[in-house]
Amino acid sequence: MRINASPSSQPIDERSTLLENMSPMKLCVPGDKLCSVEDCIPGTGVYLRHGYIYSSLAGYVLRKNEGEELPVISVVRETEAQLLPDVGAIVTCKVTSINPRFAKVHILYVGSTPLKDRFRGTIRKEDVRATEKDKVETYKSFRPGDIVLAKVISLGDVQSNYLLTTAENELGVVVAHSEAGAQMIPISWCEMQCPRTHSKEFRKVARVQPEYLQA
Amino acid sequence: MAAGFKTAEPLEYHRSFLKENCRPDGRDLSEFRATTLNIGSISTADGSALVKVGNTTVICGIKAELANPTVEAPGKGYIVPNVDLPPLCSSRFRPGPPGEQAQAASQFIADVIESSELIHTEDLCIERGKLCWVLYCDIMCLDYDGNLLDACVIALLGALKNTQLPEVTINTETSGPEVNLEKRHGLQIHKHPVGASFCVFDDSILIVDPTAEEECLSTAQLTVVTDEEGRLCSVHKPGGTSLSAEKLQEFICRATARQKEIQKLIDKVIHSVKTAQ
Amino acid sequence: MPTDTKRVRGPEVSQSPLLFVSKPATALPSHGPRTDGRPRDQVDVRPVFVRCGLVSQAKGSAYIEAGNTKLMSCVYGPRETERKDETDMKCGRLTTDMRFAPFSCPERGSWIQGSQDKDLSLMLHESLQPAVCLHKYPRSQIEVNVMVLENSGSVLAHAVTCASLALADAGIEMYDLVLGCAVRQDGSSYVVDPTYKEENSCSSASSENQGGLTVAFLPSLNQISGLQSDGEMTEETLTAGVRTCIEGCYKIYPVIQQALAKAVRRAAPPPSES
Repeated sequence: MRINASPSSQPIDERSTLLENMSPMKLCVPGDKLCSVEDCIPGTGVYLRHGYIYSSLAGYVLRKNEGEELPVISVVRETEAQLLPDVGAIVTCKVTSINPRFAKVHILYVGSTPLKDRFRGTIRKEDVRATEKDKVETYKSFRPGDIVLAKVISLGDVQSNYLLTTAENELGVVVAHSEAGAQMIPISWCEMQCPRTHSKEFRKVARVQPEYLQA
Repeated sequence: MAAGFKTAEPLEYHRSFLKENCRPDGRDLSEFRATTLNIGSISTADGSALVKVGNTTVICGIKAELANPTVEAPGKGYIVPNVDLPPLCSSRFRPGPPGEQAQAASQFIADVIESSELIHTEDLCIERGKLCWVLYCDIMCLDYDGNLLDACVIALLGALKNTQLPEVTINTETSGPEVNLEKRHGLQIHKHPVGASFCVFDDSILIVDPTAEEECLSTAQLTVVTDEEGRLCSVHKPGGTSLSAEKLQEFICRATARQKEIQKLIDKVIHSVKTAQ
Repeated sequence: MPTDTKRVRGPEVSQSPLLFVSKPATALPSHGPRTDGRPRDQVDVRPVFVRCGLVSQAKGSAYIEAGNTKLMSCVYGPRETERKDETDMKCGRLTTDMRFAPFSCPERGSWIQGSQDKDLSLMLHESLQPAVCLHKYPRSQIEVNVMVLENSGSVLAHAVTCASLALADAGIEMYDLVLGCAVRQDGSSYVVDPTYKEENSCSSASSENQGGLTVAFLPSLNQISGLQSDGEMTEETLTAGVRTCIEGCYKIYPVIQQALAKAVRRAAPPPSES
């Protein structure tokens, strides 16, 4: 398992050099100078310094023409590993606790990218729906364990977590279990029904968009 | 969708596999992960072993030091095993003093050494009442993906088998010890205890060699340690749901089979190291 | 001394057998080739073996082996910060923790982190921080853990290299990689990438120009991010030492680049051109 490779006489991995020659995709590591700003527009995974574009990631160099004069240059990895929840992002989260003023959630996904570490968020009562905000009751909107689609409205301040909202038709509860333990079926924008007991429970139901089903 | 299901409903995700008598990583219910052993890779230790059980990686390094035996047991040496779960091995462990799991694992290893009679502490005595060896067995997890105890026992056994102690003589004039680092001898390993760990899912489904995720979701865990003669050295079941006697018997049978597999592996590795020298 | 109730304890005192060796160890010669056959006064670093992505649980990890020095580094995060204060809102926080396994040195170390580990953690932090684009990770912290499995000299230098590899493997945005190299000045001659024995022996009688130097270097930006020196050296010796270290860093640069490229390629095939 231990191989000692001297830096001066690094054994050449024949297969990898072959791959490198065959594939037009260039690999780079952080700090590699990619090109001048006159040749490309900087995309993701790169940074600018003294008129040149450098890589800030270890990954593949990707040039894309997006109708602009210059191609966009980015460095991409197998996944967007370092995605963090940002303002405006649609996130999938799980409700952990509720109280009359807000619901606490764990953010599981940003868009369709799973987060490896958990981030906490808060959905305040006034951010549950867009209309009749004063009549919202959190326990009629969410229950612990529900899977909720929400949007980030603020990164929060020193004391608070990410602030999220579900005040859009497409946002709200997507998966919920009834008191009997069965997965419920939405029947209106504010009610879900248990297939086993046929009892109805209140939720702020999301109108499921086909593109979010992937998540 | 599969990935989403996995994060949002991990228990349901696992159940859907178990229903089909397999597991998310493709193993069947009574299958162990690939186990590899590498011994003697740390030259600063008197004995060392690196064990991988699937992704779980554990390293054990043995350092021998000289000490005075206790008054109660003048003819015995010491074995001091400690398990460390540094924050490096998983995001679930925080820096600082050993957590509950590490403490429990250390105690478990100490109990296994004691009850299996793996090493007789009498063998560690150099001069009765005056001088003896202390074997510090430091076991460190480098990658935590479940089934820590099995990996620790194998690492300990591998490292002890690899340990070479320098020759010590008592100088008659000064009555102080004299160490000759050139002359070294191995330890006498009397028994070869090997552990096998199991998890109970939903009170009824039984799986062996759980991953970290499976451990979290399971309702009970059990570790059975047996030696080469098929004798039970330790049965460790920290709480959880109850088990029937038949199930326990089944586990013990599986554990004896596992002991044979692992002992074969250890012998093979030790042999290959010897021929390489 | 308070007793440690969280570990299995041994006898109160025990001594390393090395203290009772009948023949005293011979001092290392200060002339001629070094014990491992490398020449003196030349930028001859030990061949390094590096691997990325060995630890399944970590976001990024790296293992480095140089001679008998063996180190492992894992990166976790970005995750939510534990302690919050104003500065974290705009930019992320980097935490470093460097530890020695108890069996990593000729004499057994303690489980409890000593001041040496803390000093090294701090120096590692100083060396890495300038290279990480922390403004990309508001509200979060990135944790770097380094474990020394075997100490055969120049641990800080290799820890820096290893940690920056793990950061790159984790996909943390960085301005550049950080490479480390150490030299040991011994009178008029010097040794690059010293072994444990060379670090801990001083052979020449004169006390002038005795010391060690570790440099953390950003190879593409050509900047030094960390410098640690001990002992007594003249200004000229020190500047010459820094230059030697930089040269040493460039020697391992291609190996590090290749290891990273290999990790990227193994993780995924190139994305389609569309």
